[in-house]
Amino acid sequence: MPMKLGPITLPFGGGESHKDDPFWDFFIKNAPVDIENSAVAMMDRAPEGNIFPTKAELHTPEITSSLVKELGIYLGADIVGVARLQSEEHDYPFGIITVVKADYDTKTHQGIGGQVPTQNGLYVTFVMTAWIKELGYRSNAVWDDDAEKLAAQAGLGTLNAQGRLVTPQLGPKVHVAKVIRTDLPLAADG
Amino acid sequence: MAVTLEKGSESANSGNGAAPLHFYEKLPAAPNYGRSVRVVGEVQNVDMNQSPHPMNSRGELGPAAFNLQHNTISHDPFIRVSAPNHFADRRHFLTNVVNQASKGQTSPKRVDVKDPAAMARHIKAVAKYMGADIVTIAAAHPSFMYAGNRYVQDGTAEDDHEKDTPEQLCQRFPYLVFATTAWPYETLQAHRHNIGDSAYHVSQMKGNMILKSLEGYIKELGYTALRGVANPQATALSSGAGELGRNGLVISEKFGARVHMPDPIMTDLPLVADKPVDIGVSDFCSVCKKCAVTCPTNSITFDDRDPDNGKQLTRDTSGYGVYNGVQKFKINWKTCYALRPYTHQYWSSCLTCAAICPFTKPDTWWHTAAIGWLKNTPYAMRPLVVKTLKAIDDKFWGTIKTKRVRWLGYDSGIKPGEQACTVAGCTADHGAAAAKQEVTGNIGYYYPLKENTNRFVKRA
Repeated sequence: MPMKLGPITLPFGGGESHKDDPFWDFFIKNAPVDIENSAVAMMDRAPEGNIFPTKAELHTPEITSSLVKELGIYLGADIVGVARLQSEEHDYPFGIITVVKADYDTKTHQGIGGQVPTQNGLYVTFVMTAWIKELGYRSNAVWDDDAEKLAAQAGLGTLNAQGRLVTPQLGPKVHVAKVIRTDLPLAADG
Repeated sequence: MAVTLEKGSESANSGNGAAPLHFYEKLPAAPNYGRSVRVVGEVQNVDMNQSPHPMNSRGELGPAAFNLQHNTISHDPFIRVSAPNHFADRRHFLTNVVNQASKGQTSPKRVDVKDPAAMARHIKAVAKYMGADIVTIAAAHPSFMYAGNRYVQDGTAEDDHEKDTPEQLCQRFPYLVFATTAWPYETLQAHRHNIGDSAYHVSQMKGNMILKSLEGYIKELGYTALRGVANPQATALSSGAGELGRNGLVISEKFGARVHMPDPIMTDLPLVADKPVDIGVSDFCSVCKKCAVTCPTNSITFDDRDPDNGKQLTRDTSGYGVYNGVQKFKINWKTCYALRPYTHQYWSSCLTCAAICPFTKPDTWWHTAAIGWLKNTPYAMRPLVVKTLKAIDDKFWGTIKTKRVRWLGYDSGIKPGEQACTVAGCTADHGAAAAKQEVTGNIGYYYPLKENTNRFVKRA
């Protein structure tokens, strides 16, 4: 979207405002009438696969951590971190936190457009979870109520007064995807 | 194919007062594909069951290719989650999840579209917002449609229009939305390597997800979205996503040949169709031939042809000619396919012709400038520009790709068949085979080398 300065139009800047798009609000806000039309729902209920029987040869935990982050960014995440999990309900030592840019809060914008960050996050967590299982380790992507807390714990940002994550890179315009719980030997951040 | 359709398509447009959906008075006898492809005769609709992958599924390409596609689990963990058919567990491949037949219903509350141009802009903005790199809209033409059964995603899709003829489909659903993703440039440099495979497969999975989401969104707008109906290449060419190159790939303006050709969405959503583009591919491919030189199986023709009128100048065994009424470059896909079973331990997608193509560059200002120069040059002067651009390409990007690429712990500087850990600072014990092997220099090794492959096809 070119930036307009009176009669002069610059070919850059300005960002995508979508202000002249009469259908944009529908795209962002209107929750799907039929949830089957949502790719997010499709990926969210995807079945779990098996762990590959042979464990892959790994590098040191620090390097494995950096590879996990490299893959996350390659798949389209904006920030990826590793948190140490404390919970006693499960025995996964690490949680991989995926943060994607969200122009609109995914909790309040239920349209297919408002859920695009959720879709991008699910894409990353699905492939990452499958990859870790193919490496021969356990992994499990779950919606975690404490995901933003874990993200702050991993040093990806800080929590604001409402308990929402604010990151140095993207500010508050973020969506925290499913937390990948895993026993892949990693090095925790933060 | 001379088809005359009745004006309008009232049945698909009843009651919501939008502008007439169908802008054709009369469908053109032949679609316009731009300068790189010409329709010169009668075009038969293509049955997708006669295309390479389905033929291989029936074992018609021999046991080696069949076993590669159906009985091979990759030794590489990332290929097992990203490549079709080489997974250990099919649930780990995202495309298996999102390419299920759509069960969503078209919303009964149809969004009123007063201005199809605004809706066309909206659909393009939506697809881009979801992550598509190229979005174009084609006017549906009966010759794009698949013959016989739909080429449906998971084989279970059934819809009300399954039995419609190509003409009926185009009349009721006059538009095809073509949206695709580009492969990342940097990792593509390590083609014929696991790294290049990742470039191809990751963007392919992403594209499949985007199209599924876009399909759902069109249904939520209250319009029909059909999949598995139309030929992606025909759709891409006629809507200006790119031009057809010597390597048989659609070459786009921004990304060159590094774009996927996924299944377009056919719809009755009121849109405005795009036109074919001229970015000089026709002129470039007449001169360049870098893909033909580097193809490991010699599957790409060296035929010369006149870029302007499409007249054929020389001809070798196969290549430039008229196929199914369409005059175009065509590769020998059987020899292209034949190499695959023998390289599976090193890579699963060759991509040599896409990577070497001078149009395949990062999307930068100098790439835009070079293409801008070519496309703003009169036809008669273009061979000169092409020769200059090709000389620059040979000089700075080389005649064969040997760049060393490191990604996710992989390193194309390690020779095929050897083992080494080249990750800086890694102190893990990788066993004797990979212990302390020095890898120096900036050369990437991409198996097989050209000279090894004459056993597949000998060039005359």
